[in-house]
Amino acid sequence: MSSDRINIAILEPSDIINEGFTNILLKNECYFFVFRVYSLDELSLLCSKEQINIVVVNPQLIINKSHEFTRLRRSYNHINWIALVYSIYDNELLSRFQSTISITDSFEIVSNKISQTIVRNTSSDATQEELSEREIEVLMQLINGLSNKEIADKLNISIHTVISHRKNIIEKTGIKSLPGLTIYAISKKIMQLGAE
Amino acid sequence: MYRTQKTYITAGTRMPELIKENPRILLLLEHLEVDFVVGDSTVSQLCSANSIPVELFLVFGNLYNGFFPDRKEIRSIKDIRLIIRFLKSNHHYYINDKYPEIIGYIRELQDLTKNEGVRLIKKFFQEYFNEVLEHLDYEDKTAFPYFIELIESRKTAPKTNFSVNDYQEHHTDVETKLGDLKNLLLKHIHITNELSTRRKLFFALMELEFDLKMHSLIEETILLPLIAEIEKSRMNEQ
Repeated sequence: MSSDRINIAILEPSDIINEGFTNILLKNECYFFVFRVYSLDELSLLCSKEQINIVVVNPQLIINKSHEFTRLRRSYNHINWIALVYSIYDNELLSRFQSTISITDSFEIVSNKISQTIVRNTSSDATQEELSEREIEVLMQLINGLSNKEIADKLNISIHTVISHRKNIIEKTGIKSLPGLTIYAISKKIMQLGAE
Repeated sequence: MYRTQKTYITAGTRMPELIKENPRILLLLEHLEVDFVVGDSTVSQLCSANSIPVELFLVFGNLYNGFFPDRKEIRSIKDIRLIIRFLKSNHHYYINDKYPEIIGYIRELQDLTKNEGVRLIKKFFQEYFNEVLEHLDYEDKTAFPYFIELIESRKTAPKTNFSVNDYQEHHTDVETKLGDLKNLLLKHIHITNELSTRRKLFFALMELEFDLKMHSLIEETILLPLIAEIEKSRMNEQ
């Protein structure tokens, strides 16, 4: 259940701005959770503990901490970093972020900017649900109890490819556990019942 | 689940309004052994009438309403025994309330549809629940006794095989399989008709999932940090 949830961290000192921003997000289509942090240290701790997808930062708070901020950004470069802007900043400062949201942006614009980052987050090849032939082969071997290495040897592909197939299987079916995948395979008639 | 726009609860919030807004608060009351005829009392009145520290009720209640506590709020909780009593009440609810209910609906579906997928779902759920039971047993026999001993003994932490990592791993596993079950029912297992039984089954699974989520959040974000602080202070005393 946590896999399709978008985790957003907000570093913004103003309660009013923070609440307003969260409320706009609530009306968005996506399923998300907002973590509020008060310092870069706290943000760094949070990023190490939770799978954060988007970080929204008031640039004021990083003005004298550019080293710290750059280091943090570099270690979590899969995260989308957004500046929440309500005064005038140096362009150099804002260029450290992927995008900016201004306090004067309308609800639709804020919503769109967030949605765009989310779309970028999810891989595009997992949109159709049907498994490919190769994925079905990998699935069958998984159910038979083979390890990644054994599957790679048997199907004559690299371990890396096996892992990527496994990732796609999970994304397409929404099923993560082996017993769950077994039921999936039986119900889709990929596998006969006797082999259970 | 957390996509809520619910009230942030304060000591002055009126109980009836709170419950009407989020009926799951009833389960919170049940776990705290408080009756739900709450009159027109406020949170603080209800707490003092039932000898519950108001700080704890606020943190737990707000968690049910979708708000994570901050460090200051967590540290305001002093009664670790009450947290453990609460968690044990969760156990009782899973074993005596949710499990029989869910298995009952699955059996009903099996009888009504004779669907092979339903039989597999039943097996999956039973195996899943056995894992949950193992974890609950671990808490009852290893984790909780260790915590209690730690609070009671004035000296250093007693030797134990309790491990925070085990704890968290169990939780992740429990959540994963329940998620799988929901996806199987929603996306993959085709059952014709019996909408009402299927809806009841699904609701029961969601209720189980919600309480399990609260259970692990309370353990991981509230209880374990409090325990870690005690452990640290004991180390310093040495």
